Amino acid sequence: MKDAISEPIPVTVLTGYLGAGKTTLLNRILTEDHGKRYAVIVNEFGEIGIDNDLVVGADEEVFEMNNGCVCCTVRGDLIRVVSGLMKRKGRFDAIVVETTGLADPGPVAQTFFVDDDVKAKTRLDSVTTVVDARHVLDRLADSREAVEQIAFADQIVLNKIDLVSPEALAGVEAALRRINPLAPIHPVMRSEVALDAILDRGGFDLDRISELDPEFLSASPRPAHGEPGHVHDEHCGQGHAHGDHAHDHVAEAGIAGVSLSLERPVDGTKVTGWLNTLLAERGPDILRAKGIIEVKGEERRLVFQAVHMILEGDLQRPWRPDERRWSRMVFIGRNLDAAELQRGFEACAA
Amino acid sequence: MVSFEAYVTAALFDRAGAVWALGDGTVRFEGGAGVEAHDGAVLCAAPHPSGEGLITGGDDGRLVWSRASGAVQLADAGGRWIDAVASSAASGLIAYAAGREARVLDAADPGVSRSFGHQRTVAGLAFDAKGRRLATATYGGARLWWARIAEQKPVELKWAGSHLDCAFSPDGRFLFSSMGENALHGWRLSDGKDMRMGGYPSKVRSLAFPGKGQLLVTSGAPGAVVWPIAGPNGPMGKEAAEIGYTEGRLVTRAAAAEGSGVIAAGCDDGRVWTADLASRGVRHWREPSGSVVSALAITRAGRLAWGDEEGGVGTADFA
Repeated sequence: MKDAISEPIPVTVLTGYLGAGKTTLLNRILTEDHGKRYAVIVNEFGEIGIDNDLVVGADEEVFEMNNGCVCCTVRGDLIRVVSGLMKRKGRFDAIVVETTGLADPGPVAQTFFVDDDVKAKTRLDSVTTVVDARHVLDRLADSREAVEQIAFADQIVLNKIDLVSPEALAGVEAALRRINPLAPIHPVMRSEVALDAILDRGGFDLDRISELDPEFLSASPRPAHGEPGHVHDEHCGQGHAHGDHAHDHVAEAGIAGVSLSLERPVDGTKVTGWLNTLLAERGPDILRAKGIIEVKGEERRLVFQAVHMILEGDLQRPWRPDERRWSRMVFIGRNLDAAELQRGFEACAA
Repeated sequence: MVSFEAYVTAALFDRAGAVWALGDGTVRFEGGAGVEAHDGAVLCAAPHPSGEGLITGGDDGRLVWSRASGAVQLADAGGRWIDAVASSAASGLIAYAAGREARVLDAADPGVSRSFGHQRTVAGLAFDAKGRRLATATYGGARLWWARIAEQKPVELKWAGSHLDCAFSPDGRFLFSSMGENALHGWRLSDGKDMRMGGYPSKVRSLAFPGKGQLLVTSGAPGAVVWPIAGPNGPMGKEAAEIGYTEGRLVTRAAAAEGSGVIAAGCDDGRVWTADLASRGVRHWREPSGSVVSALAITRAGRLAWGDEEGGVGTADFA
């Protein structure tokens, strides 16, 4: 009986535009022999051609909680379905939530932080966004939701890469990186991403923060290089019509990633206060934030993540002796002033 | 202690004794009988109006009447989850929610079938004391319907936020709803006046009326919360009392029976206790088990039944 009290159930939110390849991926999750049982919450029953009692339909219902604060906007249908699924505990190992292409990923992600019941029983493993290499730049150009789905992603499955030229692909990756410098990109064909690479990652890939190219840390809007084979210099994409097109519109939406770093240890109280104030004031504009912080006098790494104003932080494993001790954080949001953020962060130095 | 090794969705009493409805789709009777009611989990349950057995809604989209002798399907919502059900012994009516519809059946007359549409998913249902009016709780408020009337314009009670469960006061003057925002909301039905009843540290799951209906007892706090609802203004301008307060704990279910001055509470550590409202004396019936109490019922005659999220169940006689 003690076992049953167990770990929270990991939840993967699968988002992406119609035709990006989400349904193919879902079908694989439901049919492949991976030794895990997934409960899948879908919006359109018809799309999944599989009769499985762990496939549950949900009608997208956005609830404004607490007088409509943007950070407290949640998906009421998910609260209901997740609570119902918990009564069947023991019959599945993880949950995948499919959202429609037009869904705003914010309320979906926030449901797992705002609702006490859902929060007690589950943990958000990742927001995984599937994009179609051939069409994503057009979507980024004409759809706010498409930009937000990239911005919110913990990881991106870049699908149908066989349908574009290597140059165009580089342009696509650079465009994605500009919006979201942090999410690992899995370039694949026909949704053939290894499922264990995207499901139940045991939390967010925060360590990636330390691997980000320092080039990105400059306050300029240049995209990251780094990631051989994934992201190339932005100039690779230059001249490609789609690339320029999307760049303009994404810039218009003003959503971009800002990465900060500090080589000196920070004051734990100061940095917590700064983050709290920053998220309280700029929360509506900050879609996601993640960071690993070196706190003075603390042997463990302070790790945090935020969705809009909701901040969750924890002291995690100790710094390894061979590890470079420094603080890094990434903000993804609208019209963020990188220089100002860096100044605020530096003021937290111990 | 007995364990059914499945989430206990509901503990209720029928004429013969305690009955439990479980996350594995079964309904278990105190006498030992067990019925496979659903292919999936029981999501909600209510006593059958006849006093014999339970009506349950499941994630298989079926509404089922279970007695010790077996299960009968009352309705099929075509795969939609049925996650709210209510019944009235007074009128013999049964109401259940399937998506954005509230549907009404008559236990004695298969010809009666009503369906009331909503813009939002129906989360909670309640009959008034006579079983004539049906309240439906949704995001954004509640509606009042005449349960037997096919075509009608419902009374709309609006209040921003997500309303989960609802209950009429026994005298029918007030409707209370529990909200996603860790609060209760109340409406005075004579004039629609809003009553905000806040201060809870968590969601309220149980609304119950002990004694002569002058008090409302709820879960959702370290003790059982008791609101005075007598008088023309109900709880307005009055303060709630908290009984059985235990630091760091949460009452997850509360129960009361009309005509009884004893209330019951089940906690997030598995504890179950009763309290006499007159003497405020608290009696403990179950030690902490580590599992959250998810179902609780008491009777006027002095019986108590509980169940928890891991399948642990029990009964006690406190009279």
